[in-house]
Amino acid sequence: MIYEAIIMGMTGDEAVAWAAKQVNPDVVPAYPITPQTIIVERFSDYVNDGLVDTAFVPVESEHSAMSASVGASATGARVFTATASAGLALMNEILYVASGLRLPIVLAVANRALSAPINIHAECTDQLVTRDASWISLFGETAQEAYDETIMAFKIGEHPDVMLPVMYGIEGFIVTHALERVDTLPDEAIRNFLPPKREISHVLDPSEAKTFGSLVLQDYYMEIKRQQEEAMERAYHVTKEVMAEYSEISGRKYEILEEYHLDDAEYAFVTYGATAGNAKAVVDLLRAKGEKVGALKIRMFRPFPGNDIYEALKGKKAVAILDRSATFGSPGTIVQNDLASALYMKQGAPSLHGFINGLGGRVLMHEEKEQIYDQVKQYHADGKTHTQEWVGYRS
Amino acid sequence: MKEKIIPEEFKEWVSEKWGTAKLPIGGTVPYHSSFGFKTGDWSALKPIIDHTTCTGCMDCFYYCPDSAIEIVEIEGKRKAVADFDYCKGCSLCAKHCKFDAILMKEMKE
Repeated sequence: MIYEAIIMGMTGDEAVAWAAKQVNPDVVPAYPITPQTIIVERFSDYVNDGLVDTAFVPVESEHSAMSASVGASATGARVFTATASAGLALMNEILYVASGLRLPIVLAVANRALSAPINIHAECTDQLVTRDASWISLFGETAQEAYDETIMAFKIGEHPDVMLPVMYGIEGFIVTHALERVDTLPDEAIRNFLPPKREISHVLDPSEAKTFGSLVLQDYYMEIKRQQEEAMERAYHVTKEVMAEYSEISGRKYEILEEYHLDDAEYAFVTYGATAGNAKAVVDLLRAKGEKVGALKIRMFRPFPGNDIYEALKGKKAVAILDRSATFGSPGTIVQNDLASALYMKQGAPSLHGFINGLGGRVLMHEEKEQIYDQVKQYHADGKTHTQEWVGYRS
Repeated sequence: MKEKIIPEEFKEWVSEKWGTAKLPIGGTVPYHSSFGFKTGDWSALKPIIDHTTCTGCMDCFYYCPDSAIEIVEIEGKRKAVADFDYCKGCSLCAKHCKFDAILMKEMKE
C-alpha cells in the first residue's frame, strides 16, 4: 500500500531530523558539529516542544555521544544520534563497541572532510574509513534519500537476524544544507512499518542479570567476531528486503544499487552519494552525443554488494569510479579497492579506473567528468586495466 | 543465534566450548558467580601445606586474594587446606606463614 505523501520543503539535515521525530526514538545523545548541526538543533526543538518522547542527552563530545548511545541501547532503548567528520573520528573507538555488543544504534553522518587543513565541506572519507567497524553503511544522494534511509536504518539494524548498528551518510552542505522537495510519510505509515519497540534479544534487565562487555580472550573472541560477520552477511539480505518493503509503502524504488542506462552501456561511472546525481546528468549529456555510457550508484557500502555490482557491470569495457574520498599510498581509491577485490578474475569484469575528486567540497564540473570519460576510453584502448589518479586540482 | 542462556547452560557452554551457532551474541553472558570460573589451571605453583606444623592460625586464610584457603577440622584441630580449583599459585600464603608450614611446588612436579 502506497501512502499519500505529505510534501515538505526541507534540507537534508532537516529531513533527517523530521524522520527521526516521526520514528520517535527513546534516547538521542548528540553533540553538534558542522554540517550535522541542524539535525541536532531541529531534534532538540522537537524535544522542547513535546513532539517526541525522547530522552535527549546533550553530551560533551562525540566519544560521549556514542558511549551514551551504547549504554542506552544496551537497556533495550531505540537510539539515534548524528555526527560528521572529526566527530565520527572521535567516536571511532566506541563504534567497535556498539557493533561488538550488537546494539542497533542508528547514526546519521553529514559527510565532511577531515582536518588538517580544517574544512567543513563535503567529502566521504570520514564514513568510508569506518568500513571495518562492523557497521552497516549506507549513502544517500538527496534529502529525500536522507529522510527515507533514516526510517529504513532502524528497521535494518534492529532486525533479529542482524542486530548491528547502521550509519548512513549525506554529503555536507551539498545535501545537508540544500533545500529540496521531500515526500514524507504520515506518522501512521512509520508506525506500521517500524515496530513500536525494538527487538530486545539481549538487554540489561535487572530481573534477568547479564554481563555486557566482559573480557573475552583467545578461547571465545574469534567466535564473537565471526558472529558479526555472519550478521553482516544476513544484513545484505535484510537490507534488500527492508528496501523492497519501504518501496511498497513510499512508492519510491529503493535498492542497494541504482542503475542508470546501464543495460546497453559500454562504459560506466560508479559513484555513491551526491556525486551520483551529477554522474547521471553527465550520462545524459554523453548519451545525447551518442556515447554508450551508464551510471551505477552504490547505496550500500557495507555489507559491500560485490556480486550485485559484478552482475551490473559484467560485459562493460571500463568503469570510472568517482570517489569523493582521500586515501594515500593506496593502489586504488577506497571504493575502487573493494570493487577490484569483488571483480578480480571474474569473467567479463570491466577494467577499473579510480578518480579521487571533490575533496573538501570541491566541485567537479560536468566538462571534467566528460574528460574523465574520454580518459577512461583511452585507458581501455591502451589496454590499461587498473589506474588511480586525482582529478580537479591545480599542479 | 541463542537469545537466553541460563546458568546451567552456561556450564555446558564452558565445558563444551560452544561456537558461533550456540553462543549468545555480543559476548553477553548471563550473571554467574565467580564460583563458576575455576582458575586453578592458571597457576604455575601450588602450595603444599604441612599439617604437622600448621597451627590453624588463619593468617593464610586472610591473606589469600582468591579465598582459596579453607580452614577445616582434622582430628579435632584446625588446619589450612588449599582449594586447587581456584588457587592461582601467587605464593602469598607461603610468604606469610609464620610456621613455614607452606611450601610452593611447581604444578608439573
